[in-house]
Amino acid sequence: MADTRSLKLVTGPADAPRARAVRVAPRLGRVLSVGGGKGGIGKSLVATNLAIELSRRGEKVVLVDADLGGANLHTGLGLEPPKRTLQDFLEGRARRIEEVLTPTGLPNLALVSGAIDRVDSAHPKYAQKARLVKSLTALQADHVVVDLGAGTHLDVLDLFLVSDHGLLVLVPEPASVENGYRFLKAAFWRRVRNVVSAHGLEAQLRAVMADGTFRSPAEILRALSTQHPLAGALLAQQLEVFRPRLVVNQTRTPQDAEVGQAVVMAWRKFFGLELDYLGHVPHDPEMWHAMRARRPLLVHAPDAPSARSIGLIADQLAALDAAAGRSGRTT
Amino acid sequence: MKPLSEQNLYEILEVPCDAPEDDIVKAWDRVSALCVPGALATYTLMPPDEAALLGRRLEEALTILLDPTERQRYDAQLSPTPAPRRGGSDNASSGEVRPARRRLPPIIPARAMPPVLRPLAALEEPQELVAAAALAEATVSAVEPEPIPLQRVAVVETATESAAPTPTPTSTSTPTVTPTVTEAPPLAATPSALPELVPRAAPIPRPQELVVAEGTRFDGDMLRRAREQRGITLPQLCERTKISRHHVENLEAGRYDKLPAAVYLRGILMALAKELRLDGQKVARSYLELMASARPPPAR
Repeated sequence: MADTRSLKLVTGPADAPRARAVRVAPRLGRVLSVGGGKGGIGKSLVATNLAIELSRRGEKVVLVDADLGGANLHTGLGLEPPKRTLQDFLEGRARRIEEVLTPTGLPNLALVSGAIDRVDSAHPKYAQKARLVKSLTALQADHVVVDLGAGTHLDVLDLFLVSDHGLLVLVPEPASVENGYRFLKAAFWRRVRNVVSAHGLEAQLRAVMADGTFRSPAEILRALSTQHPLAGALLAQQLEVFRPRLVVNQTRTPQDAEVGQAVVMAWRKFFGLELDYLGHVPHDPEMWHAMRARRPLLVHAPDAPSARSIGLIADQLAALDAAAGRSGRTT
Repeated sequence: MKPLSEQNLYEILEVPCDAPEDDIVKAWDRVSALCVPGALATYTLMPPDEAALLGRRLEEALTILLDPTERQRYDAQLSPTPAPRRGGSDNASSGEVRPARRRLPPIIPARAMPPVLRPLAALEEPQELVAAAALAEATVSAVEPEPIPLQRVAVVETATESAAPTPTPTSTSTPTVTPTVTEAPPLAATPSALPELVPRAAPIPRPQELVVAEGTRFDGDMLRRAREQRGITLPQLCERTKISRHHVENLEAGRYDKLPAAVYLRGILMALAKELRLDGQKVARSYLELMASARPPPAR
């Protein structure tokens, strides 16, 4: 991780005016990304249906398939593999990301497909990533929903970190919980490192972290603050603002439905950070039927319990945006 | 965010310091679910020593926060200023509040009356009420005693009027004081009645009451007899405590190997004891000790 150049995604105070200039329509909750570490836990399902839910509320939504190398959102939407994809954009054949938008047949919703055949394009270079991020944040839409790939690859983490809402999807299974925590930790340290290095304090953080074995950021913060108050202050700020959102998918029992709250509490107790729990999506055979029919759940069975739960998740997000609007931005 | 070892028990449970007992029990259930072996939410997140630490702190929370006297002592340790739950109305400075805190203990049984945890308190309860009523009648016409708010007002008022740090004992220890102020007699009557009662609180068992001697071992048989003496049937008990019937049956029959893990069992025993008006702490401790001696502790 150390030898890779990191995107300067979190800009210092001096860069703030420039960053605002890039944004065409600065507003809250614009970019949502959906990650989760493990594969097959419903990231694409949540991303697709959340995008549809938002578009049905009259918002203009662009769904971005950023699972480079494993893209299949078009299949879930019942579309043929689109002719123009992210590959064209990353390789420069399309100058603007708007040129690779594919209509989905659903009102207010467009897709940026990530169906990429060439292997090297699945791992974009630094400049390509920077261009992608810049284009995504500048898209003329009310919401940009980014479906991330599995794993904790830096490409995945960086997209997760630039979003206004980073959604973590879990299913109530040990492997998914394990990967979920790993994903969160990796994302958090990536972010801290970006911020600290942007201020030229990376060496100090590294020295402190090499000194002892730390379990949680709080312990590192304590050690760092005594030696380097400025670096400590930066880390403290990151502890405050790093607030991913949590969605628990495929809940089958009442106990499963409580896993979300338990995860939030465990994350706070043992890692010292906060998570916002958005809700759970019950396990539903309709989901499987919808996938087999190559139709999104919200189109196939809009009244199924799982489909309705997506609406509740969108409500929660809107509530978070409203709260952030009252008290300044959180993420 | 403080490390686990530095958090106080309320922070561990994530409840406010003035949380009622029910909320504490619920919070305890939530948090203890995190350190049960095999808990999903803490998988790979919680190192074993942290889990053990959290388990110990939770034990502590159970013994201290669910015992009114212990909890009060603990609250006093936490902050020298009085806990807000004792009454939101007092705006006296800390110097004046001191006597109020010292005078609080006699009130605690009254506050804890309805869901009695301690058997002694259960036995004292009617006696106290009778005596308090009698005393109130003897002095002035009976006013429905509202010990906590009224007494607080009295303390603060006397303290501010006389501007002395400890004027309360003199004013309250003389219940025969002539009613100069309109409200004084009922105010003085109630608090003075309670402290007097504490010394001669020899438990007079009611006929149907279960006499629990000191050091009684609460095994399954004892719990069953306690239940039968209270005239509660097994289904009634299950209905009220929300404990499943086979757990209660196994508990009463002493089938230790069929019972859930100790962390859960403790909560079950506490709930059971509460319903039977027994001391939850004693029951849980006694039963778990018996269980532990009956079989080697399960490997965790």
